[in-house]
Amino acid sequence: MFSKLIYRNAKRSRKENLIYFATLVTAIASFYIILSLGRQDVILFLKEFESDAIDKLLALMPIVYLFALFLLFFLILFANRYQLNRRSKEFGLYLMLGMRKERLVVQLLAEGFLTSVLALIGGILIGGFLAEIISLTVSKLVGQGIIGHQVSLSLGAIIYTIIGFLAIQFIALVILGGRLFNQEVHQLLYEQMDQKQDMGHVKGNVLHIIVGSVLLGVAYWIALYHLIDFEGMLVFVALALGSLGTIFFMRGFGKLLGLLASRSERKSTKGLHTFTVRQFQENIANRSTSVAVTSILITLSIILIADGASTLLSSGSDLYNRSSSVYDFTVNGNHSGVEEFLTSETMVVYVEDLNLLEMGRMREQDGLTGDGMARSLVDWSNLREQLIMALPSDDREQFLSGETQGYTISSENPEALNLLGILEIDATEPYLIPESSYNGLLKAIGEKPLNLLSDEIALYFNPDFVQFDDLERLPVLDDMLEKAAKDGHRLMYINDQAVSIRPSIPMRGLVADRSVEIFTAFIVPDRMFEQLLNTETYRSYWNFRIPQTLQDQHGLMKPLIEARDALKASGFEFESYLQNFGRKLFYVVAGSYTILYMGFLFLMIACTVLALQFLTQMKQTGQRYLTLSMLGAKRNQMKRSMHRQVLWTFLLPLSLACVSAVVGIRAMIAFVMIHIEHQALLYPIAFIFASFIIVIVAVYGIAVARSADHEIDRLRWKPNVD
Amino acid sequence: MVSRAKLLEVQDLQKNYGKKSNLTKALNGVSFDILPGEFLGIMGPSGSGKTTLLNCIATIIKPTSGRVLLNGENISAFNSKDLAEYRGSRIGYLFQDFELLDNLTGQENILLPLSIHGMDFASARNKLDQLASFLEITDILNKFPAQMSGGQKQRVAAARCLISEPDIVLADEPTGALDTRSAKTLMNKLEGINKSSERTILMVSHDPNAASFCSRILFIQDGVIFHELRRKHDETQEQFYERILQLLAQLGGGSANVL
Repeated sequence: MFSKLIYRNAKRSRKENLIYFATLVTAIASFYIILSLGRQDVILFLKEFESDAIDKLLALMPIVYLFALFLLFFLILFANRYQLNRRSKEFGLYLMLGMRKERLVVQLLAEGFLTSVLALIGGILIGGFLAEIISLTVSKLVGQGIIGHQVSLSLGAIIYTIIGFLAIQFIALVILGGRLFNQEVHQLLYEQMDQKQDMGHVKGNVLHIIVGSVLLGVAYWIALYHLIDFEGMLVFVALALGSLGTIFFMRGFGKLLGLLASRSERKSTKGLHTFTVRQFQENIANRSTSVAVTSILITLSIILIADGASTLLSSGSDLYNRSSSVYDFTVNGNHSGVEEFLTSETMVVYVEDLNLLEMGRMREQDGLTGDGMARSLVDWSNLREQLIMALPSDDREQFLSGETQGYTISSENPEALNLLGILEIDATEPYLIPESSYNGLLKAIGEKPLNLLSDEIALYFNPDFVQFDDLERLPVLDDMLEKAAKDGHRLMYINDQAVSIRPSIPMRGLVADRSVEIFTAFIVPDRMFEQLLNTETYRSYWNFRIPQTLQDQHGLMKPLIEARDALKASGFEFESYLQNFGRKLFYVVAGSYTILYMGFLFLMIACTVLALQFLTQMKQTGQRYLTLSMLGAKRNQMKRSMHRQVLWTFLLPLSLACVSAVVGIRAMIAFVMIHIEHQALLYPIAFIFASFIIVIVAVYGIAVARSADHEIDRLRWKPNVD
Repeated sequence: MVSRAKLLEVQDLQKNYGKKSNLTKALNGVSFDILPGEFLGIMGPSGSGKTTLLNCIATIIKPTSGRVLLNGENISAFNSKDLAEYRGSRIGYLFQDFELLDNLTGQENILLPLSIHGMDFASARNKLDQLASFLEITDILNKFPAQMSGGQKQRVAAARCLISEPDIVLADEPTGALDTRSAKTLMNKLEGINKSSERTILMVSHDPNAASFCSRILFIQDGVIFHELRRKHDETQEQFYERILQLLAQLGGGSANVL
């Protein structure tokens, strides 16, 4: 008997709260996805190179999961509270019929359990399916099809999802059941949850709006201009002020809507205008805090989604941007075995443009200076002077007065300052690269060899570490060099011999990944290299590329992996572009996955709260629509009014959220937390993600409108026959 | 008096509830007419069918057979669009529990029928002021229902049903939720409106006190009209009340004990 009652009640509440149930299913699906992340192809693939970082990311997932559970807990608490309040009469009746309160609470728990189990089944099925699809698509898109596919089903994820979800459902129901437990039967039977119309005083409400606006303004100001002051603590201040401001604003705004209703006499007799405004007002004013919370959630979700999208965008373009790195593999060392192995039959198919990179530091002058320091062979004082002259006047004064303590090399500095900084650090004992090594690299990219004169050198800046806008065109330096060449003026002496400097040579990464971490080097004729090299610092690397023909046939990744496996077997120390790629990929995945996930979760929760709130009000005030129909309102008229209410209910928190989010995003761009590399892609991508958000909100809005339509269609005047 | 055209004609109205095996005849062939300016009461015990009758006239429920003519038009055959036009503009309702929208102020509630039917507010302004002062609700026009007493609420509801100048006012136990003093005030006001502007009122009640304000009372039991009382021209309300009580006593001890 009881099982039948439980079953029927659970079925009814699912039907009545379809939106809520659907959100539960979606949330469970998303829990499963986040928990089964470790089984995703991309992650399995990345584990091979970046296992530490991946472990860290996966260790982060339970925290994300717990946080998401925490959010969902409030949603469940909120939704169930309304549901139980609406059913209080029914509970009162059970108690009147002699049901014990313990029994009632147990029954509620059982109903909740039944709903949860169904939601879990649906959610895990959908989640499993989605995880599979995400896994496949991401590995296809990002991994160019080389990442092998494995079924991503994860038993652990299923178990944790079930435990977590049942736990929050249980806690929420126990809390609510406890409240029910403490109420008297009479309260349950006769006390409606209708609140008295509390519209406050106009003055108080204006004050609320003003306080809210001021708080929001301060929060915006902090966000835009002082976000990173006090070691970033102001971020929290801005968030707190913004949230508080939103709450105050909503509180004042909701109640002041009444003015709107009573102000315009002409409009007030236009259809159900007054009624619509009053309904909206009631919805906002009586629940201003939760409306404000949804607005804050939407703000956060927009910012998070923008952040995640920008990570995707900039890293995504980074991922395949190989303009600076030429080689696919670098094998360390110069013992004869390396060359032999690389030209052996097993490897030769994978090797093209094999090139030995030699390098080392310049030796110092014999004997020490007066103060016991080693003396540099390089005298670049003429160049230094010219560079100082080329500085913008502010920087020059600072530099000359000795105020400049250190150098930051960045693309925002004037070129001369960067050059000066790099050379000051490196020029006393510069790295040397023999011309022949660099020519090999140039040949690989189809450039002409340098053919340096015996007293000529070239300056090399490593594009992997020196962030200039365009390393190959350094107008200040090039001008200087050309002018010097024309005047016969020498800018640099090495070992007391005047050298000329070759302007604008192509610059590329020296190795496949990171085994050479230098900013700058002098490319010198081979003879000079031998003369000036400090032999203790000599290092050499064998670089090669995967042949283009092989790439054309199989894509880059497949031969890369095959060559890697062959090299691994050989026991040589080596690095490959895969690591480079893997690291970048990791940032994309780690950055965008979690952030986008949280963003969409926030959005979903905000929309569900708004939807539930509206539908609850709709059900509580269903009688009003009956009265309206008695006064001659047509169903269409009422539906129009209701659609408008839905629209406003969603638009109000959304519009404030949009304003706040724009400020937030601007702040993040200003303080370079969001970095957008390809401006051209910015608008399409921003548009796509904005559409995502709008579609989600619209889906909820339409779902709400439809089920409210349904309520209106169901309205029947029930005559009490006496 | 010149014989006037009938305002409302109820012709052989029948309403059945339930299926064959369990059929309840709530109305079993009710016929009567209402003349313009009449204040007609319908009395009967619980279950007599009086509310069903009112609901049929109010177009809230469809009769099984029979016709209801308002100014010669068969309103029981109207479609829903015509019904919406008819409700709120040509007939006004007064409910036992007021049915004010509690999130609208008194004035907004009163003006609601006008805005629903897209009527002009400017011309209603005068009407609103008149009604408000007659019903003594001018001071509470800007209050919400929660801030009003029961009597005030019912008078606001009365203003709402009168603002669109309906042909007929249908009142379902309008004093049912009021204390005696408020009930008396309300009935005085209704009677005043009936007398001064010849507004036709049809009221269902089982309160003999309220019914004594009517000019004619139909008694209904088990779905049929079985008696009629008319208030004589020189008869006071108190005298009429005595007569109603007498009749109820003869019928079997008053409204609560007819079985």
